[in-house]
Amino acid sequence: MPSIDYDSAADVTKRLEERLVESLTGETSVSRRTVLGGLGVAGSAAVGLGSSRASASSDHDDEDEHGNFGAVGEYRDLDFDPHEFLTAFNTGDSGQDNVPQQVYEENGRTVREFEFTAVDTTIAIAPGVEFQAWAYNGQVPGPTIRAVEGDLIRVKFTNLGRHAHTIHPHLKNLNPRMDGIPQNGPGVLDTGESFTYEWIAQPAGTHFYHCHSLPLKEHIHRGLYGTIIVDPDPERVRENPREYVNYPGPITDDFREQLVEEAKSRNHEYAENDAVNEMVMVMNSFDTNFDGGNEVYAANTRAFGYGVGDTDGNGNWTAGETKRPIQINKNQRQRVYLSNATEFDLINSFHTHSQFFDYYDHGTTLTPTNKTVDTIMQCQAQRGIIEIDYSDHEPGLYMFHAHQSEFAELGWMSFFEVV
Amino acid sequence: MADKTRDTTTDGGVTADEEITQPLGLPKWVSALLPIVLLVLVLGVFAFTSPLAGVQSGEPLPDVTVTHTTLPSDETVVLHVTNNGPESVTISQVLVDEAYWNFRVEGAGGDQTLAPMESAQIVIPYHWNPGWDLEVALVLSDGATFHNTIVAPSQSPGFSLSLLGTLAVIGLFVGVIPVALGMLWFPYIKTMSDRWLHAVLLFAAGVLGFLAFDAGFEAFELAERVPGAYEGNLLVVFGIFGALLLVQAISAWREGRVAAGDSRASSGLWIAYLVAVGIGLHNLAEGLAIGSSFALGRVSLGAFLVIGFMLHNVTEGPAVVAPVARGERPSLGHFAALGVIAGAPVILGGWIGSLAYSPTIGAFFLAIGVGAILQVDWEIARMVRDAGGRVASATNLLAFLLGLAIMYVTDLFVAL
Repeated sequence: MPSIDYDSAADVTKRLEERLVESLTGETSVSRRTVLGGLGVAGSAAVGLGSSRASASSDHDDEDEHGNFGAVGEYRDLDFDPHEFLTAFNTGDSGQDNVPQQVYEENGRTVREFEFTAVDTTIAIAPGVEFQAWAYNGQVPGPTIRAVEGDLIRVKFTNLGRHAHTIHPHLKNLNPRMDGIPQNGPGVLDTGESFTYEWIAQPAGTHFYHCHSLPLKEHIHRGLYGTIIVDPDPERVRENPREYVNYPGPITDDFREQLVEEAKSRNHEYAENDAVNEMVMVMNSFDTNFDGGNEVYAANTRAFGYGVGDTDGNGNWTAGETKRPIQINKNQRQRVYLSNATEFDLINSFHTHSQFFDYYDHGTTLTPTNKTVDTIMQCQAQRGIIEIDYSDHEPGLYMFHAHQSEFAELGWMSFFEVV
Repeated sequence: MADKTRDTTTDGGVTADEEITQPLGLPKWVSALLPIVLLVLVLGVFAFTSPLAGVQSGEPLPDVTVTHTTLPSDETVVLHVTNNGPESVTISQVLVDEAYWNFRVEGAGGDQTLAPMESAQIVIPYHWNPGWDLEVALVLSDGATFHNTIVAPSQSPGFSLSLLGTLAVIGLFVGVIPVALGMLWFPYIKTMSDRWLHAVLLFAAGVLGFLAFDAGFEAFELAERVPGAYEGNLLVVFGIFGALLLVQAISAWREGRVAAGDSRASSGLWIAYLVAVGIGLHNLAEGLAIGSSFALGRVSLGAFLVIGFMLHNVTEGPAVVAPVARGERPSLGHFAALGVIAGAPVILGGWIGSLAYSPTIGAFFLAIGVGAILQVDWEIARMVRDAGGRVASATNLLAFLLGLAIMYVTDLFVAL
């Protein structure tokens, strides 16, 4: 018996979505429309929402039957696919087409080189609702960088936006010139300027990068952030096991081997890693009306992007469906690299239904910092690794969302479909 | 009263009786100055002895108003602030979107302190983004904050000849041309019977009546943004009554001339000029609104808006020329003058509005327009009555209503 049946799950998602879009139209239709009309923001929102309302009323009978408010349309912007983003790791070897990259040896060190640009763009954050974003390589969240502990990450960064930007990594960085802040090194990069950042990938874990130009609130919440994953090096773990555990007792050989095995499962260059389904999620949010509070929340930008759409229950989605659960294999271990980019709110959180998980704060340890929990919270820039096992569970839909109910109802509401 | 005849002067007053005696036999000028001298003495004693020093209860509250903002470049925000409070205030810090930001105060004598009623500009180097609201807060030395939101910012045009040219062309289209076109109804109006002519005059009065309300509401709305120390609402009241009484005084003076036998003064041309001045003042305010919208980067003068303005203002043409429909046709020069007086102020207003805009100026000009228009309506009613017509006939009342209605409908096209 699945924890939630499809009809009622779809129902909940639609109702929340309807409420979110209603609240946004309410705001845009008063005086903001006249003000922003020239920008086409409210205009396009109004057009999109208008058409979705029309379609909602056309299948009114259907609504009555299920007690729905009605669907509010699909995402039309197909440049960004939140499902592809989940597993899009840029390692230098392989990665996204919009992130030119290569990997090579230099002075006995593996160098992973990426070309980053900052651009001004428009992204879809809810069906019919657009947001003027600043984005690394045109996407929010920015591309996920993945390296192995001790590698050199080289980012050739060019600013093509109208505002000045930087890239600031949350890594152990020994050279202040590379810190990506206005006061150090090249400072902020004005339109058209370039700089090559070089960072040693350390410590192992899941990390955060973002623009550090001022005003910081604006530069972060407009979309300039992303994830850097540093895979642990199993050989280094074998030599220095204490650096990877928060544990003062004796390290037995068995424990050492266990840590090495865990490191291999985290390291994308090892076969053990293939057995794990890894996903990147950035909890983010958007202030669409400049009031210093967010109107839309999501994991990976799109409100209800991992919500329930129309499915036959076997993972077969209606063509063109842009909102659908994350389908996972129950026999595979699930690992989420989670980080929080939410601006304006103090914290964000991650909660799983009918499920407990292990949490590795910052991903810097190979033993969990929180064992068997179903809710964790993160402040901005905090991140961690979540490991979930669904092998006991019956197939079906399992909800996960922020357990700030407000955030959930404003878009940060998602499902795993376990098959 | 009747036993003594007095000479009336040209303004209708009478000369004072020389024989009224002064107390204690003092000269007249002494009794005129005495109250003023005593007032100065009392003020002096009060200022030097401070008899009420112990009565003060607490501190008066600081009050700072951001009258308007300008964005001369995409790297700069300028706040125009006025200290409305009774005490000096010091602007110690500035917050932009809840972040402390650097700034400098210009026009406050080199420091950051504003004396009561003093105005200054706060210049903030900030790379704002067009269309994205900015919330700016002034933090005073005592920690009090004053907030101002710049909604959907866009760059201020600044001063340039091409801007003046653009505004002149806009003014020509929305002001001068429609009024001139409306005046071309003159030959037709001339052929009308008295009854219909009076209806046209009342129609004109309806048009003007609408404008009076339109501008009046706008004046009071704008007055809310006038710094408190200047008492915006009372300034509007003063503007309305000032203009009303001033035009009324001119009108009374004209009647004196008529009584003295000046034939030119008795023609409808006078009223036509009064109507033109009233409409001109209204159009000046309209120009101010266009110009200031330009200055604030708030205007999208699409074809629709210009067409709306033209439909709206074309009704002002017949209002100007209807008073001269009877009697000798004035020379073409007069017609040209009437058209320019009524229509061209749009251009002037546009220039003033774009270059030296402030809510105080805007509200005051609007108020003057209201006062002038109210007096002209009064004048038109008298004109109809003097010509032997009945102002409140069914035809005339309906014509007045039609004037109001047409202005209401055409006003819908003009949402600035």
